[in-house]
Amino acid sequence: MMSNDPKEHTPAPAGSPGNGPALPVWIFSLTLVLLFLGGVYFDESSGWFNAQIYKPYTDADQLEAYQPVSGAAAILAQGKHTYDTICAACHGPDGTGKPGQAPPLAGSEWVNDHAHTRLIEIPQLGLNGQVTVKGQSWSLSMAPMGAGLSDSDMAAVLTYVRSSWGNKGDDVSADDVKAVRGTIAGHPAIAGETGLKAIKE
Amino acid sequence: MNSGCRIFLVSFVALGLSWGGFVIAPAIQLGTQKQTAVLNSSLTYPEQRPGEATMGLQVYRRSGCAACHTTQLQQDGVECEVIVTGMGKTPVAVSNLLSSLNLTGLSKDDAQSASDQITAKGGKTEIHIVPTGGDIARGWGSRRSVSEDFLWDYPVQLGSVRMGPDLADVGSRLGSYSWQLLHLYAPQATTKDSTMPPFRYLFVVQKVGDVPSPDALQLPAEFAPPSGYEVVPTMAAEKLAAYLLSLHANVPLHDAPFTAAAPPEPTKAKK
Repeated sequence: MMSNDPKEHTPAPAGSPGNGPALPVWIFSLTLVLLFLGGVYFDESSGWFNAQIYKPYTDADQLEAYQPVSGAAAILAQGKHTYDTICAACHGPDGTGKPGQAPPLAGSEWVNDHAHTRLIEIPQLGLNGQVTVKGQSWSLSMAPMGAGLSDSDMAAVLTYVRSSWGNKGDDVSADDVKAVRGTIAGHPAIAGETGLKAIKE
Repeated sequence: MNSGCRIFLVSFVALGLSWGGFVIAPAIQLGTQKQTAVLNSSLTYPEQRPGEATMGLQVYRRSGCAACHTTQLQQDGVECEVIVTGMGKTPVAVSNLLSSLNLTGLSKDDAQSASDQITAKGGKTEIHIVPTGGDIARGWGSRRSVSEDFLWDYPVQLGSVRMGPDLADVGSRLGSYSWQLLHLYAPQATTKDSTMPPFRYLFVVQKVGDVPSPDALQLPAEFAPPSGYEVVPTMAAEKLAAYLLSLHANVPLHDAPFTAAAPPEPTKAKK
């Protein structure tokens, strides 16, 4: 027997009246997928809120593993940075010197000299008076610009100067600098070329 | 609970969370930023800009340079290269080994293992850290930008549009004062296909006096002023050029490590 009561054909409302409509399954799944992708992105890019970690590094251990060890190239880079900071203002970024301020280092016989004692002493003590560089006479005064540098920086900058701009000198080690510094404590500024030549190599 | 109170609470939490995330958290992380050590050196980075360059930042800002230029280099990855610096006492064995080894584009572990194999045969090696990515391949810099680079900048001019190249390391790439001034006056005089507009209001075209100005630009014929006139930079142009030359992001830092290349030999002997 067919019923004529319209209520029997009306579909039941979704969910019970007190809880509102049920959450569609696709929204629920999409939220889960987005949360997962967000978690993956967070894990790759956050560095766990360490301010030292930038892309492409993901954690502090990996960043530590990629620190360059010091080699010949690192020493030259250290020397170049020291040179550009301190020496380049007068001797020029390319070591060509400046008329009236500082003689050239590029091609200078004092730089390419085989021994290094004189070269180490000049920035430690300063140099006053006449000195001949590349056949030209200079009469200037240099302050002890290198007196405040560490042994390692002093060695690096001299090594950089002796291996740049066509110069061909031996490397200077931090131990060399330390040894020379031990012998010159309290000495006055070097007096020109005669003073330089008086320094025993 | 009526709905007005609910709206207030929800907006309060939403705004509070974003304020915490965008203002408080960065301030805690970077608010006490200091100078940092240059890797393998006792020197610090960054150095305070010279006064003229500091003022140049304001010229950069008001000229709208940041509308077309960024000062933030990106880095996609990092690789290791094994450099052989010595062949040791058995060069044949080392050279046989080298022909079977891949020495570039390695991860740190692979580079270490290749280096160990070469060292075992008596050779000497160095492992170089090489940042990679589009910006570095273009030659715009040697590493990514990090927060230290902007320590002295206020306001920081990061920029977000790259109509022109990135300028984070422009002082190292194009470190010539006269080039920078010439480029500001007539970009196409230095870079033929440049789309950069000329910034002529930073310069003055004036009659040549009894003595030509030593600051006058050396312009190519097509950009030169009428004869009897010369182009001299205003103080604003000089400040801006000084600022551009002070943009260096070229030293290795703990949070952006790389092996600095040995300084190049000069191509021609300078007399």
